[in-house]
Amino acid sequence: MKSQILRFFLSLFLFLGSFSLAQPKISVGLGLGLYEPTLSGFDDNIDVPFPTGTMLNRNFLFNWAVYYEFFSNARLGYNSYSSFEVGKLDLVNSKAVYRRTIIYRMFPLETYFRWKPRIELNFTLTPIWGRGRIFVDTTPGDKSEDWNQLINSFGESKPVSDLGATDAMINDWIGFSGMIGIRYYLSTRIGLDMKMGFMDNSYKNEKWRLQKKEVTGPKMNIDEMPIFSFKVFYGFK
Amino acid sequence: MKQFTAVILSIVFLFGQDSMTDRPNPCEDPLLNLAQNKGIKAIPIKDIPRFRKLMKACEDEGGYKSIEQIVYRDWQRDYSKAKTMASFTSTFSVIVFLVMIYYFIGLGIATS
Repeated sequence: MKSQILRFFLSLFLFLGSFSLAQPKISVGLGLGLYEPTLSGFDDNIDVPFPTGTMLNRNFLFNWAVYYEFFSNARLGYNSYSSFEVGKLDLVNSKAVYRRTIIYRMFPLETYFRWKPRIELNFTLTPIWGRGRIFVDTTPGDKSEDWNQLINSFGESKPVSDLGATDAMINDWIGFSGMIGIRYYLSTRIGLDMKMGFMDNSYKNEKWRLQKKEVTGPKMNIDEMPIFSFKVFYGFK
Repeated sequence: MKQFTAVILSIVFLFGQDSMTDRPNPCEDPLLNLAQNKGIKAIPIKDIPRFRKLMKACEDEGGYKSIEQIVYRDWQRDYSKAKTMASFTSTFSVIVFLVMIYYFIGLGIATS
C-alpha cells in the first residue's frame, strides 16, 4: 500500500510536470549508494545462522530521489537509500524465509551552483527517518487447525496443512546527513551525480517492535558512517 | 475487447495529430520557437518526441545553425541562472562544508 502511495505521488509529479510550463524544475534520480555498516547482530549471531553477508546486501544501497527546485539555487526533495537481504533461516521448527530491509529516508535541502556550464557543485543537509524491518515466514502451531475448522464449516473436505504466516519486526529512528556532490550534465536534462558525505543515525537495538510489543533487535553499528552515492538525474519542467 | 480496441483505434485515427510533413517549414514550428525563447525544458514532456523529430527535420532542411543556437542558448540559460549563488544558498553551502569538515576531522581523530 505504501509503495502504491509513493508510486502515485511520483506519477503525479511526472504528470503535472508535463503540463506546467512555468513551474520550477522537477528532477528524478536513480542510482546506488555505498557505505559500510557493521551488522554484528546478523553476522556474528551464533544461535541463528543468517545468510552470508555480501557486498550487495551489506554495502550497496539502492537509491531513488525526487527533487523540486523551489529557488534559483536550491532544491528540496525526497531521497531514499535501501538495503535488502533475502534468505532462509534454519530455525528449530522450520526453514523460514527471511527478509531484511533497512531504508534511510531523507528529506534533503540541497543548494548548488554551476562551476562550468556542464558541471555543478552541490551541498546537501538532510534529516533522516530510518526504518529497519525483519520479516520471517513462520508456521504457527494452531493456524492450520483454526483454518481447517473455518473452511470445513463452508463445506471443504480436504484439510490444509503447514500454513505459514509472515510477521515483521520494525524499528524507526532518526538521524541526519551531510553531503557534497558534483554533477556532470550530459544534456540540459540528464546529469550524472556523485556525492560523498556522512550519515549519523541514532539507532537503538532495544527499540524494535513486533506486533506492537517492544523487543530487542540486532546490534547494528550505523551511527556514524561515510557514504558515497552515484545517481543519474533527469530534469523535468 | 475487440470493440474496445476498435473504438480506441477509431479515436486515434480521428483525433490524431497532423503529420509533420504537412507543415511547410519545421524550423518555424511553434514548439521550436518555444524552445528558443523559453528553453528546451519548457517543452511539455508529451511533446518531446515531436520536438526531437522537428529538430531533425529542421536540421535536414538546412536549419542546423538554428538548432545549434537553441541548444547553446539552453546551456547558457542554465549556466547564467546557476553560476552564482543567491540569497541564503551560499551561507547554507558554507554550513554544509563546515559540517563535513567537522565530521571528517572527528572521524580521523576517532580512528587514529
